[in-house]
Amino acid sequence: MSLSVPVAVVLLFMLGSALAAAVIRDVVGSIVAFAGYSFGVAVLWALLRAPDVALTEAAVGAGITTVLFLLTLARTTVTRSERFEGISLRSGLAVVAIVVTVGATVPALPAVGDPSAPILAGDVSQYYLTNAYEQTGVTNVVTAVLVGYRGFDTLGEVAVVFAAGIAMLLVLRREAFV
Amino acid sequence: MSDRDSPTDPTADSGRPDGADESPPDAVDGEGSVSRPADERPPYVESTIIMTTVRVIAPFVLTLGLFVMFHGASSAGGGFQGGVIAATTVVMLGFAFGIEPIASRLRNEHLALLVLSGVGTFLVVGLGGYLVGGNFLQVSGYETVFHHGSKYSIELVEVGIGVVVSGIITSLFFLLGTGIDAADAADPDTDSEEDR
Repeated sequence: MSLSVPVAVVLLFMLGSALAAAVIRDVVGSIVAFAGYSFGVAVLWALLRAPDVALTEAAVGAGITTVLFLLTLARTTVTRSERFEGISLRSGLAVVAIVVTVGATVPALPAVGDPSAPILAGDVSQYYLTNAYEQTGVTNVVTAVLVGYRGFDTLGEVAVVFAAGIAMLLVLRREAFV
Repeated sequence: MSDRDSPTDPTADSGRPDGADESPPDAVDGEGSVSRPADERPPYVESTIIMTTVRVIAPFVLTLGLFVMFHGASSAGGGFQGGVIAATTVVMLGFAFGIEPIASRLRNEHLALLVLSGVGTFLVVGLGGYLVGGNFLQVSGYETVFHHGSKYSIELVEVGIGVVVSGIITSLFFLLGTGIDAADAADPDTDSEEDR
């Protein structure tokens, strides 16, 4: 498994910022660390040749989510005290147990770029890669699957986004967006 | 708005803070509340650097968002990403010139119309699949109507998604950013309304 140097650096950055987001007591600092984590994920998707997901993660995860977190923080009062969260023994043990359990499944995954991986050798992926352009006329196969083949799911996603706006109106007890 | 901060701190303190930090749990820890009155929120601070920067890069960001939205069929991108990037323009303007002055220039009907037109575009394209002899959302049926019909209907759906997403992101930004709560319906008397 060839773990290239940029991927390793990004993974280390993600690990550090994720720990910082969990441990830092100051909420603003934690939000910034979380944004850094999302940015690391976006860079990782770009390095793994998934530009569509990278663009989504950068725009939504690192960008808009941080803005909405900060705006929510401005509506609430928090007091800062000590710099770091005190980690109890029990929660630490739970985290270690989860990490070990999930990590035990990692060796079962195929290596990055393995040509015999199910996602590459499977019939479904090959069908889309073979037929997407002739059937939809769209060169980006991600868009072809998203709208052409799985349009009903995408309609559901749009309904979720729409419902998020309505839910925010209900939660804040407003009747107008502006 | 009862103070629901009490359950958090006793559990954090009783859980044996083993050597992470030596500071004892003091009394001020836990004074936070889930809502803050509008007049105590951090005020808008005018900054020439931020205003100039936003004024320069906002057209480019909007162009990038529209490019990602319209070009999703041929390159990386699509409605969700492009919509968020396009809505970032409004967010940047809000941070640079104050959220309330920007919100006072928008009207609720416009944002609602934006969101509903996006959902409506998606549904019209989907239901139009019946008219051209296919099923719901079967965009390949449009090939019989006009050349590259499948591609153009997919792009139309992407633009509709982008319109929905940008409208909702803008709405969330203003809903969270403007100060009027249901409790205190006072006028938003923030600072420096007009001096942009």
